[in-house]
Amino acid sequence: MSSSNKRQSILPRIQSGPKAPVNFSSSITIADSAQLTGNHTINISSESVVHPRAKLDSANGRITIGRRCIVHERTNIGAVSADPTPSESRDGVVVSDYATVEVGVVIESGGTVIGEGCHVGVGSRIGKGAQLGKHCVLTPKSVIRPGEVVPDFTVVYSNGTRRLDKRGMIDLKNKAQARQIEVLRKLIPSNPAKFQS
Amino acid sequence: MSRKPVKGEYIETDTGNKVARKAVLVGTQHIMLGGKTVIQADAMIRGDLARTSQPSSTSGAAPGAAPGSNTAVAIGRYCFLSKGCCLRPPGRIYKGSFTYLPLRLGDHVFVGEGTVVQAATVGSHVHIGQNVVIGEFAIIKDYVRVLDGAVVPPNMVIPSFSIVAGQPARVVGEVPEGGHEAFELRELYKTVGNNPQPLPV
Repeated sequence: MSSSNKRQSILPRIQSGPKAPVNFSSSITIADSAQLTGNHTINISSESVVHPRAKLDSANGRITIGRRCIVHERTNIGAVSADPTPSESRDGVVVSDYATVEVGVVIESGGTVIGEGCHVGVGSRIGKGAQLGKHCVLTPKSVIRPGEVVPDFTVVYSNGTRRLDKRGMIDLKNKAQARQIEVLRKLIPSNPAKFQS
Repeated sequence: MSRKPVKGEYIETDTGNKVARKAVLVGTQHIMLGGKTVIQADAMIRGDLARTSQPSSTSGAAPGAAPGSNTAVAIGRYCFLSKGCCLRPPGRIYKGSFTYLPLRLGDHVFVGEGTVVQAATVGSHVHIGQNVVIGEFAIIKDYVRVLDGAVVPPNMVIPSFSIVAGQPARVVGEVPEGGHEAFELRELYKTVGNNPQPLPV
């Protein structure tokens, strides 16, 4: 093989929509291969982490990610809902402080709120306009219907069974989240400049 | 752009690995493939989530440990990673600091489509169905069958020869005597690649 036979990048060209206007804090970590598209603003607050291949689409409203959130790979935040009626809220998706959005989660756009300290498990789906209270835990593959209001400290498990989390471990969980972010900042090469312009 | 006339869908390495060009391997320096492993399109492996070096006093006891031993994902021989699956090392607080720990797959491990594996260890001859979620630090022993759509909770230990299913996953049965031959993936390995061969009937 000649040296001119350069190996092409495995990553396909990512350009699936208009480049979204962004508003980043200086301390965030966002991977190069994250996808940010749409017409509305995408806000990401301090110390949040966006993993590679996460997709944030603000075509249907603003996306706000709070402080110290972790958005894992292959998530789709701001997905288009099957329900075409326009929502009264100008916000597409609000992910509050200390929330974790795991691998492959789909959050539909249209006034959807993820409360503070929520943990959204792998492959869950959150419908348009749903509101998760503070410190909710969704186990993997949970489904929250559009417009549903989930009270604070709810645990959704095993095909939609619910109970309340009374352990009171908020401080510990937040501390663990901060530690995890510290490590992720070292591991994930951040490139916020790619999205800002 | 390229002078090569036709490129196959897969990159075939000297050790017999077949890696789809559309597979997403992040942090390749921390990924170990045992050979004869198939990685299909859109499969994702998070090698970048490697163990962060620990300032531990006991590390001096093992000076022979190579710097390359910081593997995040180790995969054995004849593994088959289907389309859209995702392997990522599990992470937790250990001795006061957060760290990711390696994910190890044995030989002849089948991972179905859309499955997310965050286990600590997966043994040999394991079949994981499609759209399964394996929680963090789960340990799956040899000859286990995880049925489609199962959600294996974090830290679960699945004994050998079990069949597990459900959300959360429970042991629902046992692999019958002589049933372990179905776990062989040598034939399946031949059916993919740049010149695939049909399965023998």
